[in-house]
Amino acid sequence: MRVTILPAREVKEVDARTVGDLLKALGLHRDAHLVVRGEDILTTDVRLTASDDVEVWPVISGGGD
Amino acid sequence: MRCHRCRKPANVEIRRSRTAYCAGCYPDWFRQQVQDRIDHERMFRRDERVLVAVSGGKDSLALWHTLLQLGYQADGMYIRLGIGDYSRRSQAKSEAFAERHGLTLHQVDLKDDHGFTVPDLLDTRSGKPCAACGTVKRYHFNKVAADLGYPVVATGHNLDDEAATLLGNVVHWNTDYLGRQGPVLESTHPRLVRKVKPLYRLSERETAAYAIISRIDYILEECPMAKGAKSLAYKDLLNALEEEQPGAKHRFLVGFLKEGRAAVRTGGFDQAADLHECARCGQPTTGDLCAYCRMADRGRRKAVLKDAKYGRQPIAGPELQADR
Repeated sequence: MRVTILPAREVKEVDARTVGDLLKALGLHRDAHLVVRGEDILTTDVRLTASDDVEVWPVISGGGD
Repeated sequence: MRCHRCRKPANVEIRRSRTAYCAGCYPDWFRQQVQDRIDHERMFRRDERVLVAVSGGKDSLALWHTLLQLGYQADGMYIRLGIGDYSRRSQAKSEAFAERHGLTLHQVDLKDDHGFTVPDLLDTRSGKPCAACGTVKRYHFNKVAADLGYPVVATGHNLDDEAATLLGNVVHWNTDYLGRQGPVLESTHPRLVRKVKPLYRLSERETAAYAIISRIDYILEECPMAKGAKSLAYKDLLNALEEEQPGAKHRFLVGFLKEGRAAVRTGGFDQAADLHECARCGQPTTGDLCAYCRMADRGRRKAVLKDAKYGRQPIAGPELQADR
């Protein structure tokens, strides 16, 4: 499937059965990212197919305080 | 996964409580969590005007949005930090949010009003201005709130921010800071307003989900000056732990606030006893000049040197104090 990783909009082709597997394949923590398909946020158990087009949104921000 | 409330397909999973919510039910759950914390910690009353510290990011805009949805009187405040395009974009997001909802957004411009920017405050050891940037924000949010008569400043600090701060303070055994860390910092001086963190038990992921579902247009990119910041390393460590032990961050922070904080010795630190007014700006401090005014002098010196290097006319600020 086609995966766009924000904010840089880096595009990758990844094979993964579920959203949880996708994050694992990308080496990303589940609590630090959201996976979005269209306008829907997906839970980690959602099954994905080769024709899916999803975005990975980082949620961590940091700095001083 | 099904929504805990309506059984429709879920969109947001809350692993620590083994629940999930659909996009329709989630915002209501989120707002209830915030309301519960405001009430439980007695953060502010409905008749009090709240000043929300706004950065253009998901946390502060989600907080502002939530407070308005809950019926509170909340105005915003944005500080133009002068971090290049990042600051321009975050300012635009903050202004667009205020305009869209017909809200008041107060602004301070560091360069125009005070003669320096955050990049002028780079720490020579760490190469980062993050700690100084924190001082800048605390100073101006407090000063504007005190000047304009707001009794309380609300910030978007979330569970991840607070757990990372706690871990950092434990790693360095900053007992003074540990003793003071919490969701409410009461006013201890007429010029110090109460500080509250209504999102402190909601994770960054949950706040981002609220912002996305509520169609809040926030700045997604990271502050370019925060790359390599210690707080990000602590968050990464905590998220690795969370991966194996869902709820670990929550237990770490909430356990500390319930059990650990009272047991921490504050080393005799008593903020209220030693406070007097800064000789220059009048804000509460324990020294002759407050930490902000000393830091601002350093920033202005660097700004003057930088302006001279590039042949620019320096912006006039207060007379510089001799370096200490």
